[in-house]
Amino acid sequence: MPRVFITGLGFVTSIGNDAEAVASSLRALRHGFELYPPFQKPEIACKVIGTIKGFSTESTDPEDWTWPAGYEIKRETIRSMAPHGLYAHCAFLQAVGDARLGEGDVSNRDTGLFAASGGSPMLTYFHHDRLLKLGPARCSPLGIVASIVGTLNFNLVAAFRIQGASTGFSSACASSAHAMAYAFEEISRGRQKRMFVVGGEDGNRDAILPFAGMRTLSNQSNPDLASRPFDAARDGFVGTGGGVVVVLESEDEASRRAVEPYCELLGWGQASDGYNVAISHPDGTGSRMAMENALAATGIAPSQVDYVNAHATSTLIGDVSEARALRAVFGVKGLRPAVSSTKALTGHGLSLAGAMETAFCALVMRRGFIPGSAHITRLDPECEGLNIIRSTLPNAARVVLKNSSGFGGANVAILLRRS
Amino acid sequence: MPDSVQSNLGGTKPFPLATKPFAPDDEAALREALKRCSPSTFEAAVQFRKTGNADHMPAVVIGVIERFVEPDLRSKLKDADDDLRLIEDLGIDSLTMMEIVILVEDVLQLSINNDELRNLRTVGDVKTFIDCKIRGLPLPRPTKFLPIEHIGAVMPVQPPFLFLNEASVSSTGANGKYKITGQEFFLQGHFKDNPVMPASIMLEALGQLAVLFLLEGAPTEPGKMIGSNTIFFTGCEGVRAHRMCKPGDILTLSVKLKRMKMPLATFEGAIRVGQEKAVIAEDITLTFAFVESAVAPAAIDGVAQPGAGDSSANPPLRVAMNA
Repeated sequence: MPRVFITGLGFVTSIGNDAEAVASSLRALRHGFELYPPFQKPEIACKVIGTIKGFSTESTDPEDWTWPAGYEIKRETIRSMAPHGLYAHCAFLQAVGDARLGEGDVSNRDTGLFAASGGSPMLTYFHHDRLLKLGPARCSPLGIVASIVGTLNFNLVAAFRIQGASTGFSSACASSAHAMAYAFEEISRGRQKRMFVVGGEDGNRDAILPFAGMRTLSNQSNPDLASRPFDAARDGFVGTGGGVVVVLESEDEASRRAVEPYCELLGWGQASDGYNVAISHPDGTGSRMAMENALAATGIAPSQVDYVNAHATSTLIGDVSEARALRAVFGVKGLRPAVSSTKALTGHGLSLAGAMETAFCALVMRRGFIPGSAHITRLDPECEGLNIIRSTLPNAARVVLKNSSGFGGANVAILLRRS
Repeated sequence: MPDSVQSNLGGTKPFPLATKPFAPDDEAALREALKRCSPSTFEAAVQFRKTGNADHMPAVVIGVIERFVEPDLRSKLKDADDDLRLIEDLGIDSLTMMEIVILVEDVLQLSINNDELRNLRTVGDVKTFIDCKIRGLPLPRPTKFLPIEHIGAVMPVQPPFLFLNEASVSSTGANGKYKITGQEFFLQGHFKDNPVMPASIMLEALGQLAVLFLLEGAPTEPGKMIGSNTIFFTGCEGVRAHRMCKPGDILTLSVKLKRMKMPLATFEGAIRVGQEKAVIAEDITLTFAFVESAVAPAAIDGVAQPGAGDSSANPPLRVAMNA
């Protein structure tokens, strides 16, 4: 069975728009939050989001958008994109450069692309409103491919002439972890030699505000306090967007091209809560089973795991649920791997989260540190007994477990090993 | 009555121009709509909207097309003739064509059916189309692409004296191709051990293309058609041969209608081989006569004879249907 390696990364995130900036923010525990102008209204209690800097994507017309210098994107490419399509397109170019892939390496039948995003609520609303008010004849022919879930894979597959497997994944906040997991399957089953895994979210008013309707957002107006997973005073998550691309390659392909991988993707597991459409199981049953399945699938003993990048989003119920799952897998055996949630820095990237945080894990393994769990002043007593690290550790983890959970109680656990 | 037929008929009706006076609000909306077009495009649109004078229309349409063409291809549009092709020369796909149309509709205040779009292949087609819309003239018959079987079926000339392999016919002229095979009977003697396509035969080929235009593209009177056995050569002027043409050469022929008045039709004609000029004829004049049309002309390739019905063979937005 071919082994699978991570050989390239690209980032457009609230904590940096390239690997260097992201690594520096993770090491220094520097967050990416700001007061978000569209939320500074009396009827909106939530004030803060993880903003994407250096891009302007407020307009519903992609030709109004701006992005950092160095990315050349044609009108005919951008016209069918959502904001997160632009973020991911830039991250894709970074990842291709980072993995030192030539044009022929990207576009061939052995190279595929799996993506995950929640679509673009902003553009869905804009185009649908036009459709109903002005009639179909006055509507952009590309409104639908810019808006619907799947826009990310449609656009990137076309723009980069992907010829291998391509599809999108939809399990809410576990989506891009599922994309990563099934991309692993494509390679480990010998069906593809290389896979791009892409996560993206608009992270703007229309993408984040619906979660205020659900009462799951933090109403903190202080950007330094808004996202604090595992803290006793946490009051909800902080939304964010962006685009992250991870390049997976088979061992043969990585060695043929003589690239040094970030780490090996050992395997994964998944399980579902079977409990509630939106609330995590109070005991973290699904998350526990997903971790157990990942360990069993890879033959890794719990004692070998030295860092867990938690899903913990800073919600009241979710963080405790995951803490219980972690205690069941590790704590009861007397094991205390380092645990942190980088969502304290980035905010919750929703469909983007799994790919973004897996990329963080790969990056920090190479850079030789473990990012701390920021913004904890008083640990939630429910989370006691876990080794939740409050500051960055100066050593590299050898085996990392990455948790992701989504609506409907979908849970994915991914295992990585420093190579 | 099927929708496609209805919309085809609707397309030939005069378009009612907006009668509402052009207000400052309209000007602001127009400026916003044309913000990525040249200032002269905006000016032309303002003049058109204020006066309804269709002379401003080409500048608006070309300005809108330019705005959707990638910057490195825009120079082609600067000194374009009407034969500049939208897809092949300007890289405009069917989706971009839709974007162009939506903006033109918005700016010129007219509406265009999807069905009418698929026949627009060149800048000239677009200009003619919009012009007809604005002036309330009937839409020109779309360019028809005729395979050899069809040419053979309608032409009075037959092999071995037919010098067209394929042709396309629009409302203003026709284009065709002929490959010199070397098997043409007259090449055995023209010349001895040196086959060269006779200039007279090349002129004949242009004449045949003009005949095809009269049969397939020329305007006729209601209930009448041009009789295929009524067309004959009457004269030509300004003929120059520039290049010898030999077996293996592919002749690209074109004729454009200059004048047509019963019983004479005059064309200009040209033959190229690749980019090289081979033959120019300033005037080729044919005589013709109308006969009663026994049956309605048949639809070719499913393309657009009103009432012919089947337009599903060529859906306008095939690419979007991938959804």
